[in-house]
Amino acid sequence: MLPSNLVARRLVPFALPSLPSAPLPSPREAHLWCVKPDELKDASLLQEYMKILSPCEKENVLSVKGEVLQKCALLSRVLVRTTLARCLWIEGLSSGCLFHARLDTDYRINPRSFKFKKNRFGKPEVEWQHNDVSFLPSLQFNVSHTSSLIACGITVNDPIGIDVEEKQRRPNADVLSLASRYFSPPEVQYLKSLVDSDSQKIEFIKLWTLKEAYVKALGRGFSGAPFRKFTIRFETRGDLVSEKLKTGEFRIAVEPVSDHETLTANWQFALAEITGSHFAAICMGIDENDTGKEHDLLKLKVWKTLPYMEDECLSDSEAVIKISGLS
Amino acid sequence: MATLSAAFASWKPAASFINQTKGLTYRAKVASIGTSRLNFPSSRSSRLHIRCAAKPEIVNKVLEIVKRQLALSNETSLAPESKFSEIGADSLDTVEIVMCLEEEFSISIDEDNSQNINTIQDAADLIDQLVQQKTEVA
Repeated sequence: MLPSNLVARRLVPFALPSLPSAPLPSPREAHLWCVKPDELKDASLLQEYMKILSPCEKENVLSVKGEVLQKCALLSRVLVRTTLARCLWIEGLSSGCLFHARLDTDYRINPRSFKFKKNRFGKPEVEWQHNDVSFLPSLQFNVSHTSSLIACGITVNDPIGIDVEEKQRRPNADVLSLASRYFSPPEVQYLKSLVDSDSQKIEFIKLWTLKEAYVKALGRGFSGAPFRKFTIRFETRGDLVSEKLKTGEFRIAVEPVSDHETLTANWQFALAEITGSHFAAICMGIDENDTGKEHDLLKLKVWKTLPYMEDECLSDSEAVIKISGLS
Repeated sequence: MATLSAAFASWKPAASFINQTKGLTYRAKVASIGTSRLNFPSSRSSRLHIRCAAKPEIVNKVLEIVKRQLALSNETSLAPESKFSEIGADSLDTVEIVMCLEEEFSISIDEDNSQNINTIQDAADLIDQLVQQKTEVA
């Protein structure tokens, strides 16, 4: 099973160090944790990662064809499990529940301890155990991957959907044909209004990731929320003169095309460029009870990680460029 | 991006492998005798599908289009039984493949039809069926 390009460097048994904790997202805030599969080069680390998975997950990873894809499948599960575990560690401690079965001897939540289920449309969710409900916050998560970046977005309580794509991705097919076939008419018009064909391709990819993030946030699957039935709009804030708008001042909103009971509009969007290489689109549910304040801009924090090995906070650095919808 | 099966099935998680069924799909194999043709029930519902196994040339064309879209080398083993979810096709690959197939065979594949496509063979079988339906109507 060991991919041929990895080298087993260690001659002594390899044990994972402790998983550092991570902050819990604040209300109305999304955290994005990213892994670059190319940074996983150590075969013994890969073996340890496999031990974090459930038997079913292991079986599924091994059924994926090809080393690169297999590594991505593995990292995807490791990222979800470790991100959830590390965010909950401090919560578990502070709530005083020190003898909970899911805690390791050093009171950390064991990443292996999570169980997952699917909602009735098939969206993956944490299956909280009976004892969790009283003391653990309700973490919501969503995963997206490309062969070069895997991302896991988390919030507390708010439904979330994310999508990442390589900035350099160019569809093989003509983007206007693709848009005419799959996007809503206003979106097609928007793309047609762009004079430069490369801009058209880039904006297509951005729209694609935003639409994908919305569908995943809704949790109803591609066929439950057809792309053609909703429009993603970039809206300027009404009180600002257009020439004075800084990057990121646009609010991104979704508008269902017709009165569709499953396509709702109470969602907040953000688009960012990560490490100069990827677009990341985040869609977060707006609590309808949270009235009074206009929810223009989403709060986002980003980390790059190789679980157990290293973490790097990317927020407020050049590695995260806000494109739209971010405070 | 979500994998191809997120487009073709009601939902699959991003890594698209949790709880995939491994059971065998029953597929009726029919030999056409002369110009006679058995009519299978038109499958608008997403329940039981009995499909005639597609002609080899359709299967090969689907394989060719998928390989081209995913930029797979000739050495990469891609079989009719290959699952889209296991060969690294994401949702954008999916829609490009669907569009290519529609153009190639002059058919229309809507979301309902594509619910049950998990493998290359499934795609070929659906195309064969849609092409037959088209020629019957004509």
